[in-house]
Formats: sequence, structure tokens, C-alpha cells
Amino acid sequence: MLRQCLAIMRREVFYLWRDRGLRHILLFGSLLGLMLFYAVYSAQVLKDIPTAVFDLDNSAASRELVDKIGKAEYLKLVASTASYDDLRELIKQGKAVVGVVIPENYGRNLALGRQARVLAVIDGSNMIYATNASAALLTVTRTLSAQAGVSALVARGVQLQQAKDAYQAIDISEEAWFNPALNYAYFLVLALALNIWQQCCTLAACLNVIGERGMKSWLQIRACGISKFRFFASKSIAQIFIFMAVVLPLYILGFGALKLPLNCSWAALLLFTLAFAIAVHSIGTLASSFARNAVDAARFGMIIALPSFVLSGYTWPLEAMPVYLQKVAWILPQTWFFQGINYFAFKNAGWNLMAHYILAMLAIAAVCYGAAAVFIARS
Amino acid sequence: MRQILNIAHYEMLHIFKEKILFLMVFLVPLGYAALFGAAYVSAVLNNVPVAIVDLDDSKLSREIAAAFANSPHFKVIDGIKTYAELQEGMKNGRVRAGVIIPEHFEQDISRHALTRVLTIYDGSNLIWGYNTRKYIREVFNDFIAGRAASYLAGLGYTKNEVRAIMDTVSLNTEVWYNPTFSYTNFLYMGLIMIILHQIGLLSVSLTVTREKERRTWLQFLSAPVPAWKIFAGKALPYFVAGFFNYALLLWFAARFIQVKIGGSLPLILLLGLLYDVIITAAGFFISTRAPNSLQVTRYVMLLSVPLFMISGFTWPWTHIPAYINFLARLLPSTWMMLGFRQVALKELEMSYVLPHIWALILMAFLAVLAAVTFPKRLNPPPDAGPAINSGPSYPSRWK
Repeated sequence: MLRQCLAIMRREVFYLWRDRGLRHILLFGSLLGLMLFYAVYSAQVLKDIPTAVFDLDNSAASRELVDKIGKAEYLKLVASTASYDDLRELIKQGKAVVGVVIPENYGRNLALGRQARVLAVIDGSNMIYATNASAALLTVTRTLSAQAGVSALVARGVQLQQAKDAYQAIDISEEAWFNPALNYAYFLVLALALNIWQQCCTLAACLNVIGERGMKSWLQIRACGISKFRFFASKSIAQIFIFMAVVLPLYILGFGALKLPLNCSWAALLLFTLAFAIAVHSIGTLASSFARNAVDAARFGMIIALPSFVLSGYTWPLEAMPVYLQKVAWILPQTWFFQGINYFAFKNAGWNLMAHYILAMLAIAAVCYGAAAVFIARS
Repeated sequence: MRQILNIAHYEMLHIFKEKILFLMVFLVPLGYAALFGAAYVSAVLNNVPVAIVDLDDSKLSREIAAAFANSPHFKVIDGIKTYAELQEGMKNGRVRAGVIIPEHFEQDISRHALTRVLTIYDGSNLIWGYNTRKYIREVFNDFIAGRAASYLAGLGYTKNEVRAIMDTVSLNTEVWYNPTFSYTNFLYMGLIMIILHQIGLLSVSLTVTREKERRTWLQFLSAPVPAWKIFAGKALPYFVAGFFNYALLLWFAARFIQVKIGGSLPLILLLGLLYDVIITAAGFFISTRAPNSLQVTRYVMLLSVPLFMISGFTWPWTHIPAYINFLARLLPSTWMMLGFRQVALKELEMSYVLPHIWALILMAFLAVLAAVTFPKRLNPPPDAGPAINSGPSYPSRWK
């Protein structure tokens, strides 16, 4: 029996190898994806947000303010414009994301303790830019208000320490856990590559049943008397083994060469990935069990695989989605996998949580394999 | 013209006869748009779960806790009282941010001793991370301003005097184009453009492979009909359906997902028209070259994520290496997504979108040129040993 199973597995590897399109997809798809996405996010941290200043005052105080804005975290002065229209033009063209307008008599008003209003404009069309720019400007605002307030109080005869107490009584520090540098490459590159990998695996798994029953050789196989269970189980083991062999270089490159964060153990990660590979394979198998042909099977599989990354909550959080959609998302193994990758690779959330995730994925696999078995048996 | 309409009619029959193709052409784009719309419908990330670890339990520390509780951006999670519990909560996702107020905090502040509030947030998902950092700063800026106002009132200043001191210098921030920081305005139309691109390409790129698989392509090749008429006839239904989907999805996005679609309508239509021409022509070109429908389906579907990610639509192109930007600029989806944002979100006029329009016109010209110049001959199948699924056939139960 074992020899027969091994022969079927060997045949499956040969079949996958001879399918040139699938071979290329499995061998290079996710690796190319990893390298492409790493190149896209090679800047890693969103620094140097282009900032333009329109200084109507041009006094020592306004230059000090410009200097302060230029030194703010993530902002980079790229232009000093001669008019408000020029500033607006730069933002329209996307050459500046932040614009600061310093009014006339800013320095004089400051010295006299009168009100001086500075305008900061943020281009909100790209939220990655806008959120970072807004956070940077909030820090500038805090410092600027405090300094001006202290000066105003001192000018009114309040003692310096008392004035500082009013504004700077509370010291606050910030820490970003699990990704202290807010590195975008850490956050997204591996997940995107794994998304390509799961799509490649779905495509391969979508041939599992129809790839046999849609061929004339199926009659020969049936005539040999091999049980359907043994036949498809052997094929599935070979395919899942190949999926794991494909993801391994991805992990080695990602965690080894590119130094992406991995805080759980390799064994735990591979076990978790194996559970997902089984779940993805089960979905492909189910699609291929009722499809009329291989193209339809690929379509059915990819209808789930394509939007699953967005629905998984890896980027836009699940908690921000409507409750009914969250329930749908948790039916998909991709949600368990991508949520789990975040919890385990970044946070090492512990074996209890991982066991729960693995069991959920295996349960989904059991349901899909069961449904596929019913389709195969009935046909 | 009659020949073109006849071929178009024949293609229409295929679309209506094949249920899955019909669904792909008319329903799948709307289905995906509805799915992604539902995911992003909340638009803004609010109610960030935050834990307050108050080790001081003083009046001041309770004021800080109240500031977070009163913020619409945060939802204070009860039951996390220690640093260890906070660590655990951050690990298992129960909370995404934490505020730790040290022991003797109020006492140390009154003695001017060194003390500080520690705020932490989850950086493993940067949508949580970026937003939470911004919200924390907003809460503390308001809190510090409120405390300063109370302090000044305590010194005997009147309300107007306090306001005058507080407003000595103010940095008023205006957010243009997307003032509510809506993720839907930012992201959704990019997803729509990729859906139209991929589903459109996938539908039209099966038009010739289907004929090859049924061995009816030979009839087209041997018929006294020029190549451009075959292209025009076969592509026409997909072009019309593509433009219908473009209009439908824009209406759906504006009506149900509340996405901002402003700017010039003729410009939006022109961009859509060019995009549709490119997709239809490129799909037909792929179809004439591809061995079978299975290979086309596989490759086209895998392109969705890379197309979106390299376009500079999310991660800004200024922070992407030049060679990736060069590659992205060879793709119509990049120009369309960025051009559409310029018109619909930023409401800019023609002059700002001209480079996008010229690029799309050039691509449309090249795509149509490539599509109408396909060779009218059958290539012999390559003899490279036992190839599986790479020839004109693939596994099918109905063979």
C-alpha cells in the first residue's frame, strides 16, 4: 500500500513539474513577489514628508519656526514659496504634502504677546502621508504652544518656573511595540508575499480532482482498482509537501536575509504554516471537485483567494469592518493565517493562541475535504 | 460594419450562454466592489481599544484616564490593571494601545521630580500604529491645553485673558481633499480600478483561447475578414460591458460607500474610456498569444496584488526606487489610479491630469495596434515532450 501511495506521489510531482505554467508560478511567483515588495518598501520608514513653507514675515522668529518645522520628525522642507498660490500649486501637483503659511508680523506679534495664527495644510489624499504628517504637526503644535504660552506668561510678570508648570507639567513618552521603528517593510512585505504564495497554492490545488477526472487517463486509473481515497490522499500529501517546500525559501529569505522580525520559533511557524497549507489545499480541492473544467476550478478557487487578504484584516483591521463581514471573514482560513502571522511572527502570542488558530484552520480543512469527498463520491 | 456586428453578436451569444463568463462580465465586478465597500465602509478607524494602567490612582491620573475615555477615537478596556496584563493584552490583541501612569505621579509632578506618562501602541499593524499615535498626541495636546487653562484660571486670570494667552501662537491645521481622514476616500477607488482591470482583462482574454480550444479559431483565420474587424467584433461586447461596469461601480461607490467622486465628469469619462480601450485591446492581444484559457486565468489573477502595490497609490512613489517606478509607469493601472485620484478626490482640472491622459492615449494606441496586427495563421504546436496543460487543451469533464 505504501509503495502505491509513494508511486502516486511521485507521479503527482512529475505532473506538476511538466505543467510549465504551474511550475513557474510555484517556483518563482511568491519569491518574485517577495523581492518586488521588498524593493517597493525599501525606504522602510516614511520619513522626509515633503513640506513647503510660505513665510510672509521673514523675521528671526518666523525663521526659527521654519527651522523647527524642518526638524520635526518625518518632515522635510523642500520649498520656500513666494506666494500662497505657489504653495497651493505645489500641493496640487503632489510636490509638497504639507504646506505652512506664516503670517505677516508673526515675529512682532509674538514679541508683543499678541495672537499669531500659523496655517498648516496637509494633503489628505494619501492617508499614509497624511496620518504621519498630522502626527508630526501635532508635536510641533504642542511645543510651539507651550513655548509661546510660557513667553506670554513671563511677559505678564509670572515667574518662569510657574509659567513652565502651566504648560510643561506632564512629560509624555511614546513607544511603538513589536515594530519600534514603524517599519512599513516589516509590516507588509512578508504578508504580501505570503498572499501571492497562497494564491499560487490555490491555483495548484484547483487541479487536484479535475486534473484527474477531466483526463482520459482517469478511466485507466479507475480500472486499476485504486481506491479514490488513497489516490487523492496521496496526491494531496504530495501537493501539500510541495507548498511547504515553496514557502521555505520565502521564509529563509524573509527572516534570514531581509531580517524581517520573527519572534516565535521556526518549528511553531512551520507547524502553523502547514495547517494553513492544508486548509488552502482543501479549498482548492473542493473547487476542483465540482468544477466542470480546470479553468472554472481556478476561477472558483481564486474568487476566494483574491479578496481574502483584504478581508483578513491584516491591513484594514477586522474590528473596523461590520460585524456580519467579520463573521464571514473568520470562515476563511486566510483570516486565521494572516492574523496569526501578525500575532506569532511579531508578538509571539503563545502556544495556546496558536493551537486555537491551528485547530480552526484544520476544522475548515476537514469541512472542505468532507464536502469534496461527497462531490467525488456522487459523481 | 456588418461583419463586425455579426462577430460581436456571435460573441454576445457566448457571453450569455456561458453562465460563469456572464457572471464575470456583469456581476463579479459589482460583487467585489460591494465586498470591499463593506470592508471599508466605516472609513475611519475609531474605538481603538486602550488600557489605562494607573499605578498612581490620583486625581491627576484619573483626569488622564478620563481624557482617553472621552475621546471618540479610543475605547478604554477595563480589567487591565498591571503592566504584565497590558503586555498580555497587547500580545493577544485585546488592546492596541496602553497608557501607563507611574506610581507617585501626581506627587512627583508637584515636587518637580522627574516623572513621565508612558504611552504605547501596537506597531505590528501600521494602520493601527499610525492612527493610534496620532490619536494619542491629539488627546494629550487637548489635555495639556485644558490643564494649562485651569492652571491659569487658578492664577486669577479671567476667561478672556486665559484664551488670549493660550492662543498666543496657534498652528491651525487644514486637511485638504480628504478632511475626515477617510480610508474609503483614500483606498477604495484604487481597488475599484484594479477590479475593473483584472476582471475586464480576464473576460476578454478568453475570447480567442476559447475559439482555439473549440477548434473554431481556424474559421476566423481562414475567413476573408481582416484582422482588425475580428478584433473589433470580438472586443466590442467586452468594451461596452467594461464601460457599463465603470459607470456602475462609480455610481455604487458614490451612492452606497459614500466615496468622494468630485471633479470634472467629462474627464472622469475620458479616463474611463481610455482605460477600457487599453484593457479590451490588451486582453485580446493576450488571448491571441496564450496557449489556453487556463494559463491566462492563472497569470492574470496573480497580477492583481503586484499591480496595486507598485503603483504608488498607497505607499508614495517618492519613497519607491526609481526602477520600480519606471516599471509601474509602463502599466495603465498606475496612470489610471493616480489620474483618477487627481480628478475625483483632489478635483483638479485638465492641466494636472494631462500627463496621465497622454500616457493612457499612448498605451491605448499601442494596445490596439498590437491587437489588430495578430498573424492570421495557426502556429504548429511546440514539440517539447510531454507537456501538461500548456497546449490548446486542459482538463475538462465534458471532453
